[in-house]
Amino acid sequence: MSVFLAMALDAYRELNAKKLFWITLGLSGMVVIAFGSIGFNEQGMSMFYGLWQIDSEFVNSTTPWSRTLYVGIFSDFIVGLWLSWIAIILALISTCTIFPDFLADGAIDLVLSKPLHRVTLFAMKFGMSLMFVVLQVMVFCVGIFLCVGLRIGEWNWMIFAAVPVVTVVYSYIFAVCVLTGVLTRSAITALLLTLMFWSSLFGMQTSQSMLLQYRIRFEIETANAERRIEQLETRLAAIEPDSNDPGNAFARADFQRRLEEARVDRESSIDGGAKLAPWHIPIRVITAVLPKTQPTVGLLSRWLKDSEGFSIAGMMRGDMTGQRTSSLMPDPTDVEVTHRLEKKLDAYSGWYIIGTSLAFEALVLAAACIVFVRRDY
Amino acid sequence: MPAPNGEYVIDLHDVEKVYKGDVHALRGVEIKVTGGEIFGLLGPNGAGKSTLVKIMMTIVRPTRISGTVLGRPVGHKPTLRRVGFLPEHHRFPRHLTGRQALEFYATLAKVDRPTRTRRATELLETVGMSEWADKKVSTYSKGMMQRVGLAQALINDPELVLLDEPTDGVDPVGRREIRDILLRLRTEGKTIFLNSHLLSELEMICDRVAILVQGRVVQQGRIEDLTADSQRYEIVIEGAAPSWAAGHPELRIDTGADLRTTLTCRGAEAPSVQPIIDRLRKGKVTIVSVRPVRETLEDLFMRAVIDPKTGRALAPGAARLTRDEATP
Repeated sequence: MSVFLAMALDAYRELNAKKLFWITLGLSGMVVIAFGSIGFNEQGMSMFYGLWQIDSEFVNSTTPWSRTLYVGIFSDFIVGLWLSWIAIILALISTCTIFPDFLADGAIDLVLSKPLHRVTLFAMKFGMSLMFVVLQVMVFCVGIFLCVGLRIGEWNWMIFAAVPVVTVVYSYIFAVCVLTGVLTRSAITALLLTLMFWSSLFGMQTSQSMLLQYRIRFEIETANAERRIEQLETRLAAIEPDSNDPGNAFARADFQRRLEEARVDRESSIDGGAKLAPWHIPIRVITAVLPKTQPTVGLLSRWLKDSEGFSIAGMMRGDMTGQRTSSLMPDPTDVEVTHRLEKKLDAYSGWYIIGTSLAFEALVLAAACIVFVRRDY
Repeated sequence: MPAPNGEYVIDLHDVEKVYKGDVHALRGVEIKVTGGEIFGLLGPNGAGKSTLVKIMMTIVRPTRISGTVLGRPVGHKPTLRRVGFLPEHHRFPRHLTGRQALEFYATLAKVDRPTRTRRATELLETVGMSEWADKKVSTYSKGMMQRVGLAQALINDPELVLLDEPTDGVDPVGRREIRDILLRLRTEGKTIFLNSHLLSELEMICDRVAILVQGRVVQQGRIEDLTADSQRYEIVIEGAAPSWAAGHPELRIDTGADLRTTLTCRGAEAPSVQPIIDRLRKGKVTIVSVRPVRETLEDLFMRAVIDPKTGRALAPGAARLTRDEATP
């Protein structure tokens, strides 16, 4: 235990000595201050602590929109962008040197010559490296918790769920940084390779999400086309085939044209869906085994939904689906696509999302640990 | 002198280390270090000295090894609680002060809190770093780093201390202080294993030495014993050597530029040189000086690293040998 505490104290001192740690904390503080500067009164909303008043009938302290807007800013712009991306990138830049420095000639000798097993040392060093994110997000959440409580009167302790969630997301990425750091012993190389991995991961997840969206759209369009075909065939059958009524002939021709169009639409949708399948299936398999950064952050929305359907995390998640709201997509097909997509994504359990991600992380860390343990220094 | 339980403090046999690329860093090294002595390990660059020390400290995994350190097999981690180590070119975390560094490494060595606090203060005083104790190590000079490094090696009050170039970068005053500390540790019964290039320093404090060349121990023992064969008397006389001296089997004649001649009586004991002196006096030869001469550690070292075939120093570095050649 005392070794654990010593490592923790050392990690804190290391962070304390890093300027970027304080810069990041300062930036987080500015974000919280900016967030807290937004207020609501009976006339509308105020910004910069009352310096700028925007009158509004809809968004004021008497309507529920104020709460939706306030938390929406928090979720879409602060958590979705700041905590999920910028803070993690800053954390990676700050912590990418930890393992290469730990393994540097002259430094590692001092540690390995102590009566500690290498696996223990590795595990402790990795765990302590997460302290950067834990401290940053914890301080940030305290600020946000106070802002939300004071501004809209909602003291939501679940805001602090962002601490473990963001930390676990960071740990997926940092595991790769550790592996590359242990292999190359170069902080710059480790950082670049990690950012490349993260970008690839984002690309894969986005592709998977978009392909799924398009496949759902094709399914819906196929079903719509089939419904139209069925309706048109019924109506066509109702017209007397041998009638010499010119009106009937015109209607039959029109129905046949529309029927033909519907059949073309159906074929086109089936064809479109079939063309996407060879791409979507392998990407789905690959993303299944890779860490799920965006879905993990998205879990917050499920956990933080309140009884009125109000969801802090619905806006807190930083993934692309968080930006799809039905109000922005009035087209019924779009609404249906969004609805089904969200339903499909929500069908993945938290255990699956975090479990498979942690399994990947465990594999990467095991590989890094094996290299660390077996190497001569 | 073996350890109290009858074992050597370090008793290694058949130590072999082959790095990637078939680089044979160590080839069947055998080292025995008894308790309470200062043992010096010498060798040219790349001879395998640091590799041997790192194997004992579990930093490098041997290809083959048998033997013990403090009575336990090499690689037995709990034994390291009783061992102190100062690596060559050690690097403390730059964000720590000297005191924090000592306490941190003491904790890793599983020293309890009151002891590590007390010992850190004592050792910083011992190595002359009390005034710098609470300053960041990033502000230290190399000599200061060595001093704090030595304190780090002693923080767990070890029975065995392994020091790799402890006086590297230290000024003459500091070197003397470090030597005094090592001698004091010896009087306290500690065993010290020293890697150094500074042969004169090793000669001053080591009880025994081993010379490692291209991964093999070529000489090992007490310095007196290793240089006993080189013991001789040098008799300096005025003018040229007498004619009988040229035919004397035990004498070598070196004529100097200052009209003096040195007669070297090889391997001679004091009684055996007396007849030569008597004969010189009888011949009215002026004797300027008579002094016993012994080979220095540097001479011994140079002799060990000279290739007898070429008469030149062996190339530094580890050996790249075929499997057959590698077998001793």
